[in-house]
Amino acid sequence: MNLRAQPQPRGTIRPRHGGRRGTLLATAILFTACVGFADAYANAPTIRLFPTTVVEDLRQTGNVARDMESGLQEVIGQLDQQRELYEQSKCDGAENDPGCQRLARQIGASYLEMLTIMEERLPDMEHTVNNTHLSLEKSLRNELGRKMTSWTLQETLVGQQAAAAGTVTSPTLRGRSGMRLSERFKQYYQLVATSGSRGDQSLAVLASDIYLDMDETSLLIQRTRQEIARATLMEQLNQSFGIITPEMMEVVGGVKSILFGDEESRALVAGPPPGSVEQAYRSPLEQ
Amino acid sequence: MKHLVTRPWLAALLLPLVLAGCATPVPTCDAPASRNLDTAMSSVKDSLTNGCHAYYDRLFKDLLVTAEGDPKAENKRLFSEFLLWSTDEGLLSKRQAEEYYNRYFNVKFISLRSDYNNCSHTCPNKRKVLLDMERELSDKEQGLLKVSLDNDGYYRADRLYHEVELVLEATCTACSASR
Repeated sequence: MNLRAQPQPRGTIRPRHGGRRGTLLATAILFTACVGFADAYANAPTIRLFPTTVVEDLRQTGNVARDMESGLQEVIGQLDQQRELYEQSKCDGAENDPGCQRLARQIGASYLEMLTIMEERLPDMEHTVNNTHLSLEKSLRNELGRKMTSWTLQETLVGQQAAAAGTVTSPTLRGRSGMRLSERFKQYYQLVATSGSRGDQSLAVLASDIYLDMDETSLLIQRTRQEIARATLMEQLNQSFGIITPEMMEVVGGVKSILFGDEESRALVAGPPPGSVEQAYRSPLEQ
Repeated sequence: MKHLVTRPWLAALLLPLVLAGCATPVPTCDAPASRNLDTAMSSVKDSLTNGCHAYYDRLFKDLLVTAEGDPKAENKRLFSEFLLWSTDEGLLSKRQAEEYYNRYFNVKFISLRSDYNNCSHTCPNKRKVLLDMERELSDKEQGLLKVSLDNDGYYRADRLYHEVELVLEATCTACSASR
């Protein structure tokens, strides 16, 4: 519907004092225009990648991740302090010293506590991550896999404005290892919850991004759960000897980087240099 | 005619001249010598209409190389007009002309043309599709960046390639999960 051109019907007599009738006409035109616009909007092909279930799953996953973080934050802080004390006491190489053995046992106990917290919280995490993963899998398969050809997918990604102007809002891409887990899900939730204002091109990338991330997270949680059982048994044995194994410190480091992010891994990628704006020509051959 | 019969030496003298007059000059189909794009295009048009149409692809690429020597936004239009001329002359079909233009001067990837859904067609051929896109991106680098100075267009195409790669990875994983 052309909203600009509203030709006056022939033979219409405009009221000299166009008060109420004019207002009514204007209202009618505005109403028609609004309905027309709403129709046009409703008829536009839209992809339903984020049904309410996915949004809810993402929110839930974020909450579970936050709970796990807050539970672990204290014990990891404790572990860091104990490790510092162990190093300051020059216990490396003096493992037979009774004081050092006591410190090592304390570190081991904190480590066990960390494993226990993770063991308790991970099933919830796994459950919500898997739910999100499955919901997104279904949406992606139906909306992008079965309803689209590679050409229509490309057109969705390019969007309407890209052909005219080479710039579109850059969708969020993968690689958020330097971010807290809960923060990551919070961001996902916010991005998805406000997705109404975004174009389909960003949504397709966002959904793919989250789906692949969930895939990896799900695998990681599975492996972590398997490892926790083994690590707990090992540490229970070590407790009797008061030994700190390098593996323990590696696990703690790993958990910290997963949960609280790793600043060093955050890469800043420079954008492309600004290009020439002189490109108004559009060929009749262009698709 | 009577003279030719009575004087065979005259026939022998005229025959090579007659044969030479009938023979058409053999086209060389060489790359255009001029470094000026307009002149080079005229020269290529002459060659193409004089029997070099089998070398269309090579000559088109020669023109792109010539255009690299004087890159400007205007070149997009010149190539579009050249391709439209080619369809008018019957050297290319409309579809072929579109393919040439979009391959070099458009953000969208012609390699993604398909009539079937992604799960059934694109995913089983994902590696080939991405390889074709990679090659096309290199042609877009020439057409958009080096010939037309359309930096924004080229960077958008580059980003589109990465987006398609990501979205296809996710979509194809989702498609295969249902099997």
